[in-house]
Amino acid sequence: MTFERLKPGHPAHLVLGLVIWSVWFVLLYGGLSVACELAPPGAEQGALNWLNATLLVLGVFFFVMLLAGAYMSWRHAPSAESDQPQQRFLGRVAAAVYLFAAIASLAIAVPSLVMPPCL
Amino acid sequence: MTGIASCLLLSACSGPLSSLDPAGPHAASAALLWWGMFGFFTVILLIVVALWLYAIKRDPGTVSDVEAQRTQNRWVLGGGLILPVVSITVILLVGIPVGRSMLPLPLESGQALRVDVQAHQWRWEVSYPDTDVGLTNELHIPAGKAVDLHLTTADVIHSFWVPRLAGKLDTMPGRTNILRIEADAPGTYHGQCAEFCGLEHTDMRFTVIAHEPATFDSWLKEKQNDD
Amino acid sequence: MIERIAERNHGRHQRLDRVWSYKPGWGAFAAVNHTTIGLRFLVTGLIFFLVGGLLAMLIRTQLALPNQNIVSPALYNQLFTMHGTVMMFLFAIPVLEGAAMYLIPKMIGARDLVFPRLSALGYWCYLFGGLIIMSSLLLNIAPDAGWFMYTPLSSIEYSPGPGSDFWLIGITFVEISAISAGVELVVSILRTRTKGMSLNRMPVFCWYILAMAFMIIFGFPPLILGSILLELERAAGFIFFAVDGGGDPLLWQHLFWLFGHPEVYIIFLPAAGIVSTLIPVFAQRPLVGYRWIVLAIIVMGFISFGLWVHHMFTVGIPSLALAFFSVASMLVAIPTGIQIFAWLATLWSGHVKYSLPMLWIVGFLVVFVCGGFTGVMLALVPFNWQVHDTHFVVAHMHYVLVGGMMFPLVAGLYYWLPHVSGRMSSERLGRWGFWLFFIGFNLTFFIMHLTGLLGMPRRVYSYDAGLGWEWFNLISSIGGFITGIGVAVIILDIALHFRFGRKADRNPWNADTLEWATPMPVTTYNFASLPTIETRTPMWDRPDLPERIENGEFGLDEPRHDLRETWGSDAVTGELKEIVHLPANSWLPLLSASFIALMCICLLTKSYLLALPACLLAVGYLLQWSWHNGAHPIAAPFYDDEPYSPPLHSRTCDGPGRWGMIITMMANGTLYASLLFGWFYLWTAGPSWQAPDDGPISFWPLLASGGLLTICVLLYRQLVARLGRGESNGLERGLWLACLIGLVHFATLLWVLLAAPLQPTMSAHDSVLTVMLMYLLLHSGLAVILTGLQAVRVRIRYVGARAPYEPFVLRPFWSYTLGVFWISFAAFILLPMGWGGG
Repeated sequence: MTFERLKPGHPAHLVLGLVIWSVWFVLLYGGLSVACELAPPGAEQGALNWLNATLLVLGVFFFVMLLAGAYMSWRHAPSAESDQPQQRFLGRVAAAVYLFAAIASLAIAVPSLVMPPCL
Repeated sequence: MTGIASCLLLSACSGPLSSLDPAGPHAASAALLWWGMFGFFTVILLIVVALWLYAIKRDPGTVSDVEAQRTQNRWVLGGGLILPVVSITVILLVGIPVGRSMLPLPLESGQALRVDVQAHQWRWEVSYPDTDVGLTNELHIPAGKAVDLHLTTADVIHSFWVPRLAGKLDTMPGRTNILRIEADAPGTYHGQCAEFCGLEHTDMRFTVIAHEPATFDSWLKEKQNDD
Repeated sequence: MIERIAERNHGRHQRLDRVWSYKPGWGAFAAVNHTTIGLRFLVTGLIFFLVGGLLAMLIRTQLALPNQNIVSPALYNQLFTMHGTVMMFLFAIPVLEGAAMYLIPKMIGARDLVFPRLSALGYWCYLFGGLIIMSSLLLNIAPDAGWFMYTPLSSIEYSPGPGSDFWLIGITFVEISAISAGVELVVSILRTRTKGMSLNRMPVFCWYILAMAFMIIFGFPPLILGSILLELERAAGFIFFAVDGGGDPLLWQHLFWLFGHPEVYIIFLPAAGIVSTLIPVFAQRPLVGYRWIVLAIIVMGFISFGLWVHHMFTVGIPSLALAFFSVASMLVAIPTGIQIFAWLATLWSGHVKYSLPMLWIVGFLVVFVCGGFTGVMLALVPFNWQVHDTHFVVAHMHYVLVGGMMFPLVAGLYYWLPHVSGRMSSERLGRWGFWLFFIGFNLTFFIMHLTGLLGMPRRVYSYDAGLGWEWFNLISSIGGFITGIGVAVIILDIALHFRFGRKADRNPWNADTLEWATPMPVTTYNFASLPTIETRTPMWDRPDLPERIENGEFGLDEPRHDLRETWGSDAVTGELKEIVHLPANSWLPLLSASFIALMCICLLTKSYLLALPACLLAVGYLLQWSWHNGAHPIAAPFYDDEPYSPPLHSRTCDGPGRWGMIITMMANGTLYASLLFGWFYLWTAGPSWQAPDDGPISFWPLLASGGLLTICVLLYRQLVARLGRGESNGLERGLWLACLIGLVHFATLLWVLLAAPLQPTMSAHDSVLTVMLMYLLLHSGLAVILTGLQAVRVRIRYVGARAPYEPFVLRPFWSYTLGVFWISFAAFILLPMGWGGG
């Protein structure tokens, strides 16, 4: 899959946002589990430790990246007056999927603010 | 009238294994969560169903596509996005700290009493570390104090549950899980295995007996001398 | 004039029907047409539903009063295990698959699903697998470790009887049908929509089914792998889930719920699709918020894969990880909310006709929303710790599954009944059925929430008096029996309607979708000519469509060369790409399924020497099946007057077969990824994982084997690329060469496996490595055989420059084989070396 083939309007954008979300979810859960196995931060540190901070930063990173995806798809979707309803459909739905994925990426990382990581 | 109803409700909610008749801080906060969510969702359910029934009954007249679009925006944005997002946020804001408070976190003062509990098909073996006290299907704890149960299993997966004191936790082969329980007052509390564990799963019951802290200490000493 | 048209149409009908119908008598077993197969799925599923319901009645009878001994604890454990298993695997999924198989081609203006023989194979696997599982109940050796089969309770040590084997082998067999339905529904929806049906004009039901089919592709393989591993542990002493030796019972729970949670949505999505289809029809108003619904479907499809741990909140996973899953679980409320309110908006702006199907839709709303709310409650970890594994969960789950699946299914059943029978059912009897079912259901399960909150755990065969549960259980049991009576009334209504129902008008509900453009009852070929679509609601915008279709005004109105033909189109735009010629009636699906069934029975009775020939025969029939393709006389031999624009699909390079292969490799890849997950999981989290300092697999021979495979695949790809440009000289020689190199690679790999001092019965480490090597061997071996067959087919001219289709189908399989080889090399060999002992 070359970059050229993934330009805005490609149907793959209908799912790409959530595919990225899935990767982030696996990374989040897998990374936490492995980190807790190898180098668990102490329970007395609570939520303020390197592991939670890393997860939060990554969450924000995915959030921003997916927001950019939403913006790109939205901008490239033809307007309602155009005679390309199909392209408009693909663009608008893709933008909404990116937006949802962005919010979901941030939301799943938010518990890192309060919970101790490995308990 | 309301008094009678709530009386009935309350008596219906009590019972030796009722999670709605809490006798410990963890069970109490879980019961509170239940009543809060139950009330909130009942209201939403009634509103949604009423809206649907009204939408079916009502005569919309002739609706143009523009109007339909407006209806869509109103309902989908309001009901489909804002309502769930707000509800979820509220529930998680309340729920996650409550969950945190149930964890076996280090205590501010002193250490929680540790008790080892090993599950077998189909009984519970209880032992108190640093003593040689061992019990079967019976667990003694001091009331008003946090107790950390170190749960293990000798065979299959079981689940330790005293509904009136705290939530349940499974015993996993090869692992030790730590469950914190606490009873507000002295008394006898009933527990049972909650994870299906084979033929006699139903009969895998046990009791937790909470003493006044002082009485507990003397009970433990006495027990140790007995053995 | 009119008579002449009628006569002409009748002639066309007879010619089409001759090509599309199956032979009477025994010939019915060779049928492959989607209408026939879909209905068989539905009827079989309903019979299994009655069995599952009967088991539920027994459970409720036992629990009606405290301290009863109507059934023994041993039997009770079989009852609830089988109730869950039958309802999930033998009723819910197959019935919805059947409905989708029946409806999808008709909705997209096609004549059949794109792989008809696969439909038939799926059905037979489902039927035989279901019968094998049911037989265990009659023999009183049914599985009794719960429908979730948690290890170690289901392991050989604690379940020495054959019950668990019946479950593992039978369910895996049944799952062949789910995967095959998944593959062919995806490819059918993407590649055989009629002319002009671009993605945005697709009926919303197709979006739901597309999502469901993809979820099957990615959701079922973890369980299939888990079942294979557990059966290997039980039967051959391998170690994956036993702690001694390095396994972990939690791995089973992960694999099971990686499947188990998406499965709930695999069941819910098609049912929601029925709701989304019916509401616009009864409101006589196009669905408001089509794009919102599509968004909700896509979101649900993904998010539902991120929830599985919420079934494992009490196993002792770090609570931060639980919080991730808690949040993800709650996120599902958003797409659900979008759908509920888009439906509301549609009802709001339409004049609603309150017919019987609509009544069931309202029932769905009440019950499902209630179940959804308890679902959000359960997603909250601290509350979950209290009610997990109690009757509260039983109540929640029945609200979600019966509300989210059964209610829409019955609505759909009543709605599409005239399509099948040409008759309308009785409104009055139907309403009785609804109210009995609705009241009975709520009586049973609403009160059960409270039973659970009062501390009654799941899966207990009895309970003492004095715990406050007596009244609630009695009410639940009474409600259960009322529900049963409701089901009986519904069945009676449907049975009577075939005889006494009023004849239905064409398109009796004034629906908007294409399936109502077929004659009623439907013909074997669906459409006399395949319509061109200009809008999303063709039947409303062109009321004369059925007539024009019948008059043959559209494409493919005459069968040519006795071929079963349908359109192949572009996945996005719906522009025509090819004429797909479909296989006709065939005995091969039944034969292959029979020998797979024989193999399963041999495995169950531990007669392994017999299992091998059964397996070989099944493979033989499947290969013969692949033989009847392309320019083979049974498929589409070269004709002098072949249509060139669009061409027959077997004359192209990017036909449905290649798509089918790619989708299958997605499922296969998920299976492999699950194995990889198992490896890393046990490595990092297994309580007593042990790995030798030096890997047991010899490094250089494996590397050499990989080198040969790489050369082989590059050669194959080169050959296919040339074929795509129309150059077929040296193709046969090239294929034989690829075959030879592949064979040497296979032999080297086999030697690596045999020479390695692997002791799979001693350690989980060696067990995983052995399974990995066998997986690679299986793929290499199969690829070599298929390539050899291609070489022979080139020689006898079934394949060549004029029919380049099949080498293109096989190419993704080779690429996949190469991919998993090197990933395995990196993950199982290099990484442990780098880490210092795997």
